[in-house]
Amino acid sequence: MSLAIIDAREYQRLFDLRTGAQVEDDSPEILMVRGVLARHPYPGDIDEAGNRWVSDTALDLIEQVQPRLACLCYAHQYIACRYTPLSESRRRAMIEGVFQEVERFVRTCGYTPVIVGTGGLTPLAGEIDLSRLDGLAISSHWSARYAGLHRPTSGDLDFVRGLEHIERVADREEWVGLFPGTAPDLGRIPEYLLVARKGWTFRTTGTPLRRAHMIPSAGPAIPVATPLGSPEDITKIRGLIEKNLADTRIALIIIEGIGAGDFRMPHHACGNHVGWYCYEPGEAQYLTITTGTHQVFAYPAGYRFHDENDTNPDYPYSGFFKSVPKHTLGRDFQGTSVAVGNRSMLTHMVFGAGISVECFARNLYNQGTMGVIHR
Amino acid sequence: MRCSYCEWRCEIDGSTFGVCRMYHVVHGEIRERFPNRWSTYAMSRMESLPFYHVYPGSRVMTIGTFGCNFSCRYCSNGFIALRDPAEQRAGMYELTPEELVRMALKLECHAIVFNVNEPAVSLPSLRELKVHADKAGLALGCLTNAYTTVEATHMLAEIFSFINIGLKGFTKEFHKKYIGVTDVEPILRNIRALAAVRHVEVTTPIVQDVNEADIPLIADFLAGIDREIPWHAFRLLPEHEMKDSAYPNIEAVNQALDHARSRLDYVYFHNFVGSEWVNSACPGCGRVVIERISLGCGGDRLDSFHCIGNRCPGCGYAIRMHGALVERFHKEAPR
Repeated sequence: MSLAIIDAREYQRLFDLRTGAQVEDDSPEILMVRGVLARHPYPGDIDEAGNRWVSDTALDLIEQVQPRLACLCYAHQYIACRYTPLSESRRRAMIEGVFQEVERFVRTCGYTPVIVGTGGLTPLAGEIDLSRLDGLAISSHWSARYAGLHRPTSGDLDFVRGLEHIERVADREEWVGLFPGTAPDLGRIPEYLLVARKGWTFRTTGTPLRRAHMIPSAGPAIPVATPLGSPEDITKIRGLIEKNLADTRIALIIIEGIGAGDFRMPHHACGNHVGWYCYEPGEAQYLTITTGTHQVFAYPAGYRFHDENDTNPDYPYSGFFKSVPKHTLGRDFQGTSVAVGNRSMLTHMVFGAGISVECFARNLYNQGTMGVIHR
Repeated sequence: MRCSYCEWRCEIDGSTFGVCRMYHVVHGEIRERFPNRWSTYAMSRMESLPFYHVYPGSRVMTIGTFGCNFSCRYCSNGFIALRDPAEQRAGMYELTPEELVRMALKLECHAIVFNVNEPAVSLPSLRELKVHADKAGLALGCLTNAYTTVEATHMLAEIFSFINIGLKGFTKEFHKKYIGVTDVEPILRNIRALAAVRHVEVTTPIVQDVNEADIPLIADFLAGIDREIPWHAFRLLPEHEMKDSAYPNIEAVNQALDHARSRLDYVYFHNFVGSEWVNSACPGCGRVVIERISLGCGGDRLDSFHCIGNRCPGCGYAIRMHGALVERFHKEAPR
């Protein structure tokens, strides 16, 4: 059973992560996580202290648990740059700030870091409004570059193929064909995947109410910095970590929204794509890093996520996740692992660490924090 | 000309747009500046909005426009509602009422709910939408601050069959200082009027040490109208000008709600993740008849529905309900 402790500030409740039912458990592990949550209230997604919260919480948790594997996610700069207007100097200062936090964390805990930038951001060039199609266009889970097209008419297809700022209209077979051996549930994949040109995004149902200022570039390479080696591809990061975990304490550190141009330490380029498909920051990219296999279809871009909300009531505190992903780094690792991140409702699923602490924010509204114990 | 949509009764003309900045005068008539322009169309769940006693478990399409006639210091949608609508032209969806209804049907929604900003700023477009929603069999609901004139309140009742009214406090002073309007009386008048003809739920954000003292006053006021009006006490989520304020203490606010629970049949305390005060108990026998899960801030959902029709399975008491459980949207969680 996986347990979730929700901390809404001066108010903590314990739940079965799957059912959402309140449960009782006063075991030392639960009490320890309750203490960590109480000591570290989350400042908010666009608060400058959001990344310091990640380091401080992780260091506290590490002191309690002494894990062999720690997974961290710093997302403040990604969320702030995406949804608030920032001057270039302010943006640069924010990026300096996240690297200072990462360095402070690594210096303090002494773990060997594997630092991954999820790719840079680019100023929003414009939006492609697909709200008047006969079929249904959907953007899912903050995806910027991709949208799914469901039940399009031939007129819809002519229309989208004629749009200057759409780079590609890929049918399902073309998309799935890029990833042989993945055996996805074809019923969940939109008939067509629409790919916007760099800087462009879609307006469809599912587009957040807050308007973006910058969006992911979703380029073919992401920066990776680690003394352990040079993974040439996103699927090789996990193997590199596993190979060294036996005799090294390792911290996998994900820095959201940072590409090579903004990466403030020596790094090398790591492949972030298969053919024309490049990963955006999000669950597919995270799961590909932590499982070592392509996870593009776990929650495919542009899928009808709302249907799954109706039919699967499980994991109510886990956002769109409907199960705990299998074969993630933390789940497969036999030793102790922790994860801390300010990417809400994602950290406890994508790393699979034994103990996770993350912010609980919805649409940038700060609800508190959540600790998850996978047993 | 004097605008008659809300109690500001702003003097507007061709280039002066009043408090909400959504109306102007064209050819001697008050018209919308941005008719059929929408800030969003999105899918949600009825409980998220929140409506706890309307078509339980149903999927709804939420819509909104721009602008507001209030300037709440804690507004959580200030990036839409408080910004000048003219500055937001690039973000406007231009959809006719027919297109909006067609979208709701494509998304397999059971209802359309206006919930982003104040509907009084877009009443002509919403009246047009009502015609097409009726033809398609879609129910219409809204969230409103009810600071509307008598005439506009009639329009709200004509357009919407279920309404959640934000009653932010009970005193003039609170409304002046925190909401930016001079009086609460029109709102109270309109709650009475709307509750007489439509399904009404009421929501009040509780600002600790500021409007806590209003809790018994609000409860008594609502009980005087109808003790079955569902009342949602919200823990304030500090946003906008109050971003640096402390989060209200949940236990303290909950204790302050005890009096309300003796006066009203359905008192809920939420807007924070993990709330345990989101279930409905039968006023007849006390049995829990509807269970919900609270994800805070627009994320509540139906968990279990135990009523038979709208009746308590224990004593048969009729639970306040506008519309029935929409079974195609609800699957009971295995326990």
